[in-house]
Amino acid sequence: MKRDFLPRQAVDRWRPRQPGGRRHGGRRHGGRQCATIVLVAALCVLMSWLYPVAAQAQRPGEVVLHATKTAYQRTDLLMGLFDVLSGGGDAVATADMLQEVIFQDLGYSGFFRVGLSESEADTDSLVYEFTIEGTVEGPLRDAAATGEQAPMTISLKLLSYPERQLILTKRYRPSAEQERVTAHHFANQVIEMLAGSPGICLTRICFSRGSGDRRDLYVIDYDGENLLRVTANRTLNLCPSWSPDGKQVAFTSYRRGQQALFSLDTRTGKVRQVIAVEGLNLGADWHPDGDELVLALSHSGNPEIYRISPQGELLHRLTVSPAIEISPCWDPAGRDVVFTSDRTGTPQLYIMDSDGAGRRRLTFEGRYNDSAMWSPNGENIVYAWRQGDLTQLVLIAVTGENRRVLTDRSWRNSEDPSWALDGRHVVFASDRTGVFKLYVMDVVDGDWWQLTAGGDPDITPDWSP
Amino acid sequence: MLNARGQSTGRFLALATLCVLALALLVFGGCSKKQAPPPETDSTAFEDADSVFDEMGTIEGEGEPEPEPEATPLPDYASLEPAEFGIEDIFFAFDEYDLSSEAMTTLSQNARILRDDASGVTVLIEGHADERGTIEYNLALGEKRALAVKDYLVSLGISSHRLRVTSYGESRPFATGSYESAWAQNRRAHFARP
Repeated sequence: MKRDFLPRQAVDRWRPRQPGGRRHGGRRHGGRQCATIVLVAALCVLMSWLYPVAAQAQRPGEVVLHATKTAYQRTDLLMGLFDVLSGGGDAVATADMLQEVIFQDLGYSGFFRVGLSESEADTDSLVYEFTIEGTVEGPLRDAAATGEQAPMTISLKLLSYPERQLILTKRYRPSAEQERVTAHHFANQVIEMLAGSPGICLTRICFSRGSGDRRDLYVIDYDGENLLRVTANRTLNLCPSWSPDGKQVAFTSYRRGQQALFSLDTRTGKVRQVIAVEGLNLGADWHPDGDELVLALSHSGNPEIYRISPQGELLHRLTVSPAIEISPCWDPAGRDVVFTSDRTGTPQLYIMDSDGAGRRRLTFEGRYNDSAMWSPNGENIVYAWRQGDLTQLVLIAVTGENRRVLTDRSWRNSEDPSWALDGRHVVFASDRTGVFKLYVMDVVDGDWWQLTAGGDPDITPDWSP
Repeated sequence: MLNARGQSTGRFLALATLCVLALALLVFGGCSKKQAPPPETDSTAFEDADSVFDEMGTIEGEGEPEPEPEATPLPDYASLEPAEFGIEDIFFAFDEYDLSSEAMTTLSQNARILRDDASGVTVLIEGHADERGTIEYNLALGEKRALAVKDYLVSLGISSHRLRVTSYGESRPFATGSYESAWAQNRRAHFARP
């Protein structure tokens, strides 16, 4: 039985919420899952209803991205007509949704400036190079009258502009639940074809929500849709890490009183204990091959970095020092590990190879550098730098050069960054509104959007593959 | 008339005296009965104290303890929060896990209480951090604080089997607020029941 909480890799593997059907979401979740999840889903639906995030509130025609003043190296694209050939009101709603989601996805990607009309080109000085058009063909008989759920036939095209040469065409017959996914799928195709970058429109973010020592893991689509709670155990659940195949999320939890590392199966929702030694079992990161993890354990009497198997067997100890050694992260090639050590008296970032040898210091500026995450192309590291009374995000090349602060003081504290697989977007937690919520930033041109809303703090996000 | 009245008065007085006497006898008799076995009362108190020891387990040799009726029975440590039997929390500076001299003084007192506790109760040392800094580093900082406290207590002769450690980082603040007086309270090693 499939759940909503599945890795987004193929269209037939997940079922997103129907656009505008938020009120039906709870029933749909509940029908397939256990009683706990019914409650959880209902809560999530209520949450997303009460606190519509920026992504949900936006419509084509509104300004989608914050700070899009400098359209740095963006390609201009026209969202053309989406014709409804048949199917009445349902088909019109589907066409509107498709246009809205594709519009937003392309804007979020960072590669495009998207306009909605030819006249907009003049007012916003856009020079269109491409256009997207679509048709939606609904069932001829009224679906509501017959009680049937006949799928729409959706045809989407990418054309050059103004020549209108066909570049890409896709035809879909999704179930009602998969219509939004169809839009994400097509947007990914366009991004991959025109920008040569992996599209992130079907990715999700796992994070920890709650306050004090009661925090649960949640999953949310990259655009702020489909919030789903995935743990419910009245304790601390922190630091999720997606396996490279998206089938598991390793996380640190106190669900048995003491801290331990667990793994959540994203297909079944089942949780198994990976390792539970005395003390810390913290901050795991999957090896890119998926056959082992690196994490911090303190059963030796000191927080040290170890490699373990997914079954919890100790494979190798990488650090030996009386200092704190935590927050390891693999490089995308799986050869080196970046981590935090306070061996000099302040937490700083270091890089070592997978045996713990060849250690070199990466950061020299500041007295508090932590939470390093290696970019998917292997060239950069994003981390949290604390100076004075604020924690800010910094991007640095693995050579230690080109250090650049990503967040200014308006962000207050920004922590726990995690890369999207496009190597361009970073999700992180910031308390700019007074409470920690999640934000996504495009590190190339600084555009950002708010991913989560609500009153509870959201922390330690991890972006899915 | 007067005589007759005098007679009846005299009879009444005699009767009243008898009654009072009888009552007094009853009362004093009862009292003397209650007071009769004072040693028994003592032995009951002693038995209670003894059972307290039994419950807590080990009493090291030294024969029978002297019964001391006025001595208060020892607290049952196993059922108390460590703070209730005098074990105090240890505080730290920002981003530090070294023990200050005050911390060592407090830990010496804590060690004495733990040594005197014949029951050998186990305590959980929880390490905490203030809200500043990252979640993960604060968890490590809390762990290091708890471990520093444990190591020092072990060096003072407390068995490491009686000491467990865990860290909650910044997740269980004792004081809320984003100012130094709150932060200072939250940078601590707290003693709790496991």
